[in-house]
Amino acid sequence: MYDAPNLAESKVTQDNIKIAARKVQVYYDDNHAIKDVDVDILDNTVTAFIGPSGCGKSTFLRCINRMNDTIDICRVEGDILLDGQDIYDKRVDPVQLRAKVGMVFQKPNPFPKSIYDNVAYGPRIHGLARTKADLDEIVEKSLRRAALWNEAKDRLDQPGTGLSGGQQQRLCIARAVATAPEVLLMDEPCSALDPIATAQVEELIDELRQDYSVVIVTHSMQQAARVSQKTAFFHLGNLVEYGDTGTIFTNPEDERTESYITGRIG
Amino acid sequence: MTDHSATPPSSIASSGSALMKKRNRHQKVLQGLGIAAISFAALMLFILISSLVSTGYKAFYQTHIQLEVFIDPEQISADNLQRGNFDDVLLDSLKVYFPDVEGRANLRKLESILSNGAQFKLRDRVQADPSLIGETVTVNVPVSDDYDQLAKGMVDRDSPANQRKLSDIQIGWFDTLDEAGAITQPINWALLTNADSRFPELAGLKGALVGSFWALLVCFLISFPLGIGAAIYLEEFAPKNKWSDLIEVNINNLAAVPSVVFGLLALAVFIGWFGMPRSAPLVGGMTLALMTMPTIIIATRAALKAVPPSIREAALGVGASKHQVVFGHVLPLAMPGILTGTIIGLAQALGETAPLLLIGMNAFITSAPDSPLDSATALPTQIFIWADSPERGFVSRTSAAILVLLTFLIAMNAIAIYLRSKFERKW
Amino acid sequence: MTTAAFLCLLVLSIVGYVWNRQAASAIRNGGARLHSLTGFHGFYSLLMIFVPVVVLILLWLVLEGPVIDLVLKSGLSDRLDGLSTGETQLIVAEIKSIAGGSIFGTPEQWKLDAAERYNTLNVRSGQLLLVAVLAMSLALLFFSRRKVAAEFRARHGVERIVSGLMIFCSVVAVFVTIGIIASLMFETFRFFEKVSVAEFLFGTNWEPQIPLREDQVAAEGAFGWLPVMLGTLVITVVALLLAVPIGLMSAIYLNEFAPRRVRSIAKPFLEILAGVPTVVYGFFAILVVAPAIRSFGQGIGLDVSPNTALAAGSVMGIMLIPFISSFADDALSAVPQSLRDGALGLGATRAEMMTNVLFPAAIPGIVGGVLLAVSRAIGETMIVVMAAGLIARMTINPLDSVTTVTVQIVTLLIGDTSFDNPKTLAAFALGMMLFIVTLVINIFALRIVRKYREAYD
Repeated sequence: MYDAPNLAESKVTQDNIKIAARKVQVYYDDNHAIKDVDVDILDNTVTAFIGPSGCGKSTFLRCINRMNDTIDICRVEGDILLDGQDIYDKRVDPVQLRAKVGMVFQKPNPFPKSIYDNVAYGPRIHGLARTKADLDEIVEKSLRRAALWNEAKDRLDQPGTGLSGGQQQRLCIARAVATAPEVLLMDEPCSALDPIATAQVEELIDELRQDYSVVIVTHSMQQAARVSQKTAFFHLGNLVEYGDTGTIFTNPEDERTESYITGRIG
Repeated sequence: MTDHSATPPSSIASSGSALMKKRNRHQKVLQGLGIAAISFAALMLFILISSLVSTGYKAFYQTHIQLEVFIDPEQISADNLQRGNFDDVLLDSLKVYFPDVEGRANLRKLESILSNGAQFKLRDRVQADPSLIGETVTVNVPVSDDYDQLAKGMVDRDSPANQRKLSDIQIGWFDTLDEAGAITQPINWALLTNADSRFPELAGLKGALVGSFWALLVCFLISFPLGIGAAIYLEEFAPKNKWSDLIEVNINNLAAVPSVVFGLLALAVFIGWFGMPRSAPLVGGMTLALMTMPTIIIATRAALKAVPPSIREAALGVGASKHQVVFGHVLPLAMPGILTGTIIGLAQALGETAPLLLIGMNAFITSAPDSPLDSATALPTQIFIWADSPERGFVSRTSAAILVLLTFLIAMNAIAIYLRSKFERKW
Repeated sequence: MTTAAFLCLLVLSIVGYVWNRQAASAIRNGGARLHSLTGFHGFYSLLMIFVPVVVLILLWLVLEGPVIDLVLKSGLSDRLDGLSTGETQLIVAEIKSIAGGSIFGTPEQWKLDAAERYNTLNVRSGQLLLVAVLAMSLALLFFSRRKVAAEFRARHGVERIVSGLMIFCSVVAVFVTIGIIASLMFETFRFFEKVSVAEFLFGTNWEPQIPLREDQVAAEGAFGWLPVMLGTLVITVVALLLAVPIGLMSAIYLNEFAPRRVRSIAKPFLEILAGVPTVVYGFFAILVVAPAIRSFGQGIGLDVSPNTALAAGSVMGIMLIPFISSFADDALSAVPQSLRDGALGLGATRAEMMTNVLFPAAIPGIVGGVLLAVSRAIGETMIVVMAAGLIARMTINPLDSVTTVTVQIVTLLIGDTSFDNPKTLAAFALGMMLFIVTLVINIFALRIVRKYREAYD
C-alpha cells in the first residue's frame, strides 16, 4: 500500500525498522523533558525503555502515538517516522495514527461497558467489521490473543470493570489488539498487578512479538531482561544507551547505565 | 528531513475514507452544539444586562425644574410652617411662565408638573432658615413622573392623544419651560438618599439599603459563629457514627430546601410563636442566617479539609491538645477559605427575596429603619415592590435598583475572589 | 435594659478573665507548677460566666413577651371573659399600640389603665432581667475564682465548654429541620381540621377564598392542590427542556473542546449567570421574555396570555443552565484520566471519547445534578411569583397561564395574616407538600451524586 522510496530506509541499514526517531525534543512549557533522542525500533521485537522515574521514558513513549497532543502545554520537535512516514506531519490524523499504534496503560482502564463492548469498541469506531459475525470473530480472536478467552467467553456481556486486575489488563491488551495495530506501546503495564498476573502478561508480551512491534516502558529491570530483545536506557531526558538487552545488562558501555543497573542510581 | 513530506503519508493521513469523514463530521456537530449552547447562555446574560442598563440608566438622572419662588409672607408664616401654602407659592412662580392659564382645573393641571414632594422640599428649606420668608429664592425641585418620562423621551409625542397621559397642551407647557431653560437633569442622588415613596420621582433606596444592611449584619452575626462551630466539630471532633452521619445528611439537605420554606418557618416560629415584630430586619436576618448556615458549614469544612494532616500531626507531635491544634493551627490556615465561603453565602443572602416576602419585609415604608426592630424593606423586596407598581417611572427605578443590587453582589464576589487568590495556598 | 444587661455581662466576663488569670499567675510566681497555662484559667472564668448568662438573657427575651401577655390578660379577665380569641387578640393589640404611644380616637379608661400596666410590666421585666444577670454573673465569677489552684485542670474545663458549644452549633442545623417540620405539620394539621385530607390531595379545584364573615359558607373556596402541582410541573418541564440540553452541551464543550482561553472566559460568565438573584430573573421575565413571547405568538396568530408558563419556565431554564452545566462539568471531570487515555489510545476522536466513554461514565453524576435542578425548579419562588399566573388551571398547555405551589404560598401569605383561616393555613399545607416533594428528590439526588463520587475516588 505504500512503496515510494523514502529517507529513513536509505539511512538505515536494517530493513525491518518500524519506528525511527530523530532528534526528538519534548518541552512542557519551558521544561525540556526529552533531549535529542534518536532511536530505531524494530518490527517483531520487544523494545524496553528503562530508567529512573522522571527520566522521560513514558513521555517519549507517548510521543510515538501522539498521546502528548492531549496535553496543552506539551510541545514535540524533531521527527518520528512510522514505516518512513513522519507522524508529526500536518496531514497525519492522530486518530488514525493511534489505530495503528495501540497503547496499553499503567493502570488497567477498561471502559464501564461489557467485556464484549470493550473489545469491540476499536473495531466499531474504525469500521473494521462489516457484520455482527465479523465483529464476533474479531472479539474472539483478540481475547484469545490476550489469553483471556477461556476466562471471559461465558461472561462477555458482563462489565469489564468486574474482572480482576490482571484480567482487566489483559482485557485492555485485547482491546488494543482488536484495532489491528502494527505497534503496541505499553506504559508500565504490570505495575498495578500482582506477581502471578504479571507473569501472565509478560508471557503474553512475548507472544505478541510474533505480530507486532512492542515497546514497553518498565521500572523493573528484571522484567526488561525477561521480555525484551532491545533495551533503551533513559536518564534525565537523554537516551543514554540503546542496544541488545543482553549487552546492556551484562556489558553496558555508559557509566550511568551501569550505575543504574547495579542499583547505584534510580 | 524534507523529501519524505513530498510523499503524502497514506494510511494515517487525515484525508481518509468516507468513514473518517463521517467521524470528523460527528466531532464538528458536537463542537458546534457546544458553542451554540455557550453562546445562548452568553446571549441571555447579555440581553439581561443590556435590558437592565438600557431601562435603568434613566433612573440615575432626574428631571428637575428651576423656579424663582417668592416666599409670600401672606401664604406662609414663620410660626405655622406646617400649614403654609407652599404649593400655592410654587404655583405662583410657575404661573409666571404661563400668564394665560386660568381656571381651577387648568391650574391644578399646571401644578401637576411639579412633583408632590416639591412643596415639602421647599418647606424643609424654609424651616431650616425662616429668614427666607418674604424673599425670592431659587429652588430646584423634581418634576412629576409623567413629565420626567416625557423629558426622558419615554412618551411618544406622535401617538394619539388619548393613548398618552399628557395632553398636547401639557406637552406644550413642558416645552415652553424647557425652552426657557428652567428644566435641568442632574444626577439623581435621591435614588440612594430617599426612602420609598408612592411617587416614582421621589422614591429611593435608602430604606431598602439600611434594611438590607441590618438584615445582613444579623445574618452574619448568627450564621458565622454557628456555621464555623458546627463545621469544626463535624470535621475535626465528631466521632464517625450514626449521629454525625445524620447531622451531615441533614445539613446537605437543608442547603437544598426551597427558600420559601424557610420563610414559612420564620412566619410560624419567629412571628407566630415568639411574637417577634413583622417586617423587621432582625427577623429577616435570622431567617437568612438559617439559610446561610449550611453554606458556611460546607465551605468551612472544605477549607478545613484542605489543611494537610501533616500540620495537625506536627502540632500534636509536640504535645498540643486537639483543641490547641485546631484553634491554634488549623483554623487560622483555613480562615481565608472560610471567609471566602462566608462572603459568597452572604451575597446569596443579600439577593434572597421569597422568605423576606413571607415575613412582611415588602411593606410600604417611607422612612429608613433606625434599628433592626423597625419595619423595613430590603433591596430585593424593594425591587419586587417596584416591579409590581403600575407607574411607568418605576420600571426604570426597578432596573436601577437591580443594578445597585448587582453592584453590591459583584463587589462581594470580587472581594471573595481576591481573598481566595491572595491567600490560597497550594500544599 | 437589654443593652445594659449585655454590657454588664461583658464587663463581668472580662473581670472574671483578668481576675482568674492574675490569681493563677500569683500561684505560679509562688513557685507552684500549674497544670494549665494562666490564660486557660482566665478563659475558664470568662466562659463559665458568659455562656450560662447569655442563655439566661436569650431565654428571658423569648419568654418575656408571652408571660407579660398572660399577666396582662389575667388582669383583664373580667373584661375578656366570654370573648373569642380573635377579639381578645384585637383588644390586646389595641392596648399595646396605646402603650406604644399611638392613640386613635378616645379609648375607654380601662384600656388606658391596661396600657399603663403593660408599660410598667415591661419596665419591671427589664429591671428584673438586669438584677438576674448581675446576680448570676457575680455568683459564677466567685465560683470560678474559687476553682483556681495549681492542680486545677482549667484547660480541660475550657475545652469541655468549647466542645459543648460546638456540639450545640451542629445540633442547631438539626433543630432547624425539626423546626421546619414541626411548624409545617402543626399548621397543616390545623388546616386539615377545616379541609379534608382527601379534598386537598385529590381535589382538582383550587379557589382559596377568604370567608369575610363567619357565616359566609358559600365563599369557603376549594382547596384541591392538584391543579397547583400540575402548574408547577408544567413550568418545571419547560425549564428543564431548556436548561438540560443547553447546560449539558455547554458542559461537554467546556470540559473537552474549549480552548483554554474560551474556558477561562466562559466559566466566569456562567458563574455570573448563577449568581444573579431570582428576583432579577423575575423582572427579566416580565420586562423582556414575556412580551417577546407574546408578540411572537401574535406574529404567528396565537393568542398568548401575558403570564404564560412558557415565559416563566424559560426564564427559570436560563437560571438553571449554569447549575446543570457546573454539575455536568464536575461529573465529566470526575471520570478518571485513564479512561480518556484509553479511548484516545484506541484511536477514538475526542467526540467519540466524549459520547461513548466519558458521557456514559458520568451519567449518574449528571442525573443527580438534574434531579437537584428539578427540586430547585419546583421550589423556585420569585420568578414564578412575578411571571406566572394566579389562577389554578388543570392544563398542560405551556401557552396558558398557570400557577405554582410557591406562587400560591406567597400570595396567600402576603399582607396581613392571621393564623386561623383556611387561606393562610392552606399555604402551610402547600409548604408541607413542597417540603416533602423537594426533600425526597434531594435525598435521592444527593445519594446518587455521593455514590458516583465514591465510585471514582
